[in-house]
Amino acid sequence: MAIRQSFVSAHDLELVALGAAGDRLAFGELVRRHGSAVRGLLRRMGADGATADDVAQDAFLAAFEQISEFRGQGAFQGWVKRIAARLYVKRWRREARTELLEDAGDETDAAPQAGEGGAVARIDLDDAMKSLSPAERVCVSLCYGAGLSHAEAAAALNTPLGTVKSHVKRGLDKLRARLAPDGGDERSRAHV
Amino acid sequence: MSDGFEFGLERMFAESPAMGDAELFAARVMDKLDRGWTARRFVIGAMGVAGGMVGAYQVISTDAVGHLQALGVQSNAYLNQHLAEVIPTGLAPSGIGLDLQTLMMIGALAIAAAGFGLVRLIREI
Repeated sequence: MAIRQSFVSAHDLELVALGAAGDRLAFGELVRRHGSAVRGLLRRMGADGATADDVAQDAFLAAFEQISEFRGQGAFQGWVKRIAARLYVKRWRREARTELLEDAGDETDAAPQAGEGGAVARIDLDDAMKSLSPAERVCVSLCYGAGLSHAEAAAALNTPLGTVKSHVKRGLDKLRARLAPDGGDERSRAHV
Repeated sequence: MSDGFEFGLERMFAESPAMGDAELFAARVMDKLDRGWTARRFVIGAMGVAGGMVGAYQVISTDAVGHLQALGVQSNAYLNQHLAEVIPTGLAPSGIGLDLQTLMMIGALAIAAAGFGLVRLIREI
């Protein structure tokens, strides 16, 4: 891919401005910079590699179409991540997987106890996310990876707010047990 | 209230190592973007050709050229007649030259101006 040398040192906001003026090479530099982060988020949400790449591509194309709407209030990467997460949720819902959201009361994968694993000092986030149910993965990723509030996640999933909060809490408990086996703070989060 | 673990979790989500095929992914996105633009240009061009053909058909089928010619002759006669009444005899021009060629030139300029405006509008969109 052709990358103009001057773009490499340019700030995201400069590239966004150039992209909004129709400079596709400048936008290409943004894709190069943030593509991995967006694809990584989608994989953590539960997408397989091909689906994650597919959705991430669509997200960047949508971002280019809407780039004039990005006002720079937050990071460009966060903005694209939110677009990608919402696109993935749409696809997820189309595939009739929302019924998974309804079983918030079922323990499909019990949270490991703090300290479980003994010598394992650190399990990285990608592995830890795999211990969550699909609904928990999506809800936790939307709130902590894409930066959506619980209410925004509930709207994106077309699911009651309480259900989302329940999935997030259960997902957090599992992650806490995996990632902070010495016993992380058990206080719950009001992520609104 | 967010605790330390949750802040740490957000940080872990934010830290995403660059993937080995990051360049390839970016190239694919740009390829899709280019194809989208090509398709859009093709559609706009096709719509323009279709619109032009419909317009040309309308012009031919309604004998618009004949009407324009008649209009040019009539307006020329009308203007000459009324100018002769207003302007003193010594100063009156023999005619202001609003013949068919002038009218067509004005029309062509108007069409060209509309074309520039349309191109500008499409670029803005």
